[in-house]
Amino acid sequence: MITIETSGFVPIYEQIKKGIKSEISLGVLKASQALPSIRDLAAELVVNPNTVARAYRELEHEGFICTRKGKASFVSENSSSLIQKDTVRMMEDVFDRAISEARKFGFDSAEIRRVVESRLKNQEKRGEGEGR
Amino acid sequence: MSELLKITDLSKSFGRHIVFSDLNMKLSPGKVYGLLGLNGEGKTTLIRILLGVIPADRGKIRYKDSAVSYRSAAYKEEVGYIPEDPFFFGGMTVGELLDFNAAFYRRWDGGRAEDLLKRFSLDKKARIKTLSRGMKLRLEMAVALAARPSLLVLDDPTSGLDVPTRHDFLQDIIRELADAGTTLLFSTHLVHELERIVDHLFILHRGRLILDEEHEAVKNSVRRVRLNFQKDPPQNLGIDGILVESRDGQWIEVIIYPWSDDKKKKLEGFSPALLDIEPLTLEEIFRSFVAG
Repeated sequence: MITIETSGFVPIYEQIKKGIKSEISLGVLKASQALPSIRDLAAELVVNPNTVARAYRELEHEGFICTRKGKASFVSENSSSLIQKDTVRMMEDVFDRAISEARKFGFDSAEIRRVVESRLKNQEKRGEGEGR
Repeated sequence: MSELLKITDLSKSFGRHIVFSDLNMKLSPGKVYGLLGLNGEGKTTLIRILLGVIPADRGKIRYKDSAVSYRSAAYKEEVGYIPEDPFFFGGMTVGELLDFNAAFYRRWDGGRAEDLLKRFSLDKKARIKTLSRGMKLRLEMAVALAARPSLLVLDDPTSGLDVPTRHDFLQDIIRELADAGTTLLFSTHLVHELERIVDHLFILHRGRLILDEEHEAVKNSVRRVRLNFQKDPPQNLGIDGILVESRDGQWIEVIIYPWSDDKKKKLEGFSPALLDIEPLTLEEIFRSFVAG
């Protein structure tokens, strides 16, 4: 399930890319499985077909999907290893943003470390940390 | 062919009332254009000129690199039109209406007409007056698309429709874009409907095109900035491109176009206690441009 929102900084084609990547990483889309056609996905999301085409083009360029000439697009065989690297990058992004937000409010490095450490401990205590 | 349609210095007045003057627009094939403007700003007049219903006072229209006048029949055959308030002979059946229209278009595609009726669940034998507003819109669309237009002009087609019917209509439009690569000129007062599909934006305001820009570029260069000051805020921010400015005590909120890093630095130079920068939705962007 890909959701699009139009009020933020993230362009629609990026949101589609992210949605497809997360479906791959969650196993909703499996290796060599066909993706919806550009026409169908565009109609489902009510977005310009060119926008979906751009997302597919970039996903193909990055190796997550492949398109047989004139045919459907498929999830690449090696997509899951690519996704892993991508997920790490994405998480680094999330932390980067949280850290700069904290700095905006005047936290120094030691305080940020302390907050991260305490949130982590807190979740581990509730048993949410490991084994997912 | 670089442009599908090019208009140069187009002007129109009704008596002493100048609707617009010296409009310049270019439409490239396969793209979706949004035509925005408040009611009474001349969108429909512009569309009627482009469709060849009424002549302009001055200016040129070129279609596929040849000049067209408002009498050019061949041009009119390639331009489809879906109005806000369509006129039908209510006593006709759906099938009769299609046969009637087929005669006007050399590019009429009977097979396509059949497919569209099936896709839209329109019964050929149904009398038009018995159809709901939503089904009438689908009928309009079937007629417009069966003629295989290169340019499809939509003049506020979804006004008065309920949300699910509008959604279905937009999905049908998107399938048409995917199937035929038709160029779209879409005028609507429901601006948020365009947000997900539009490539390029025109804003018509007070007789001028005050915006003629790619949607993505506009999105990236309009920002709402909120500033809070511990002491009295500066009287003048000294940056240009402020579309809207409002003040409330120690708060200043401005909407800026075009946004730039230089302007951000300048605002940071006032050392505000808080500087919050946000993008706007298309609807907010439109409202900001016509606020002045």
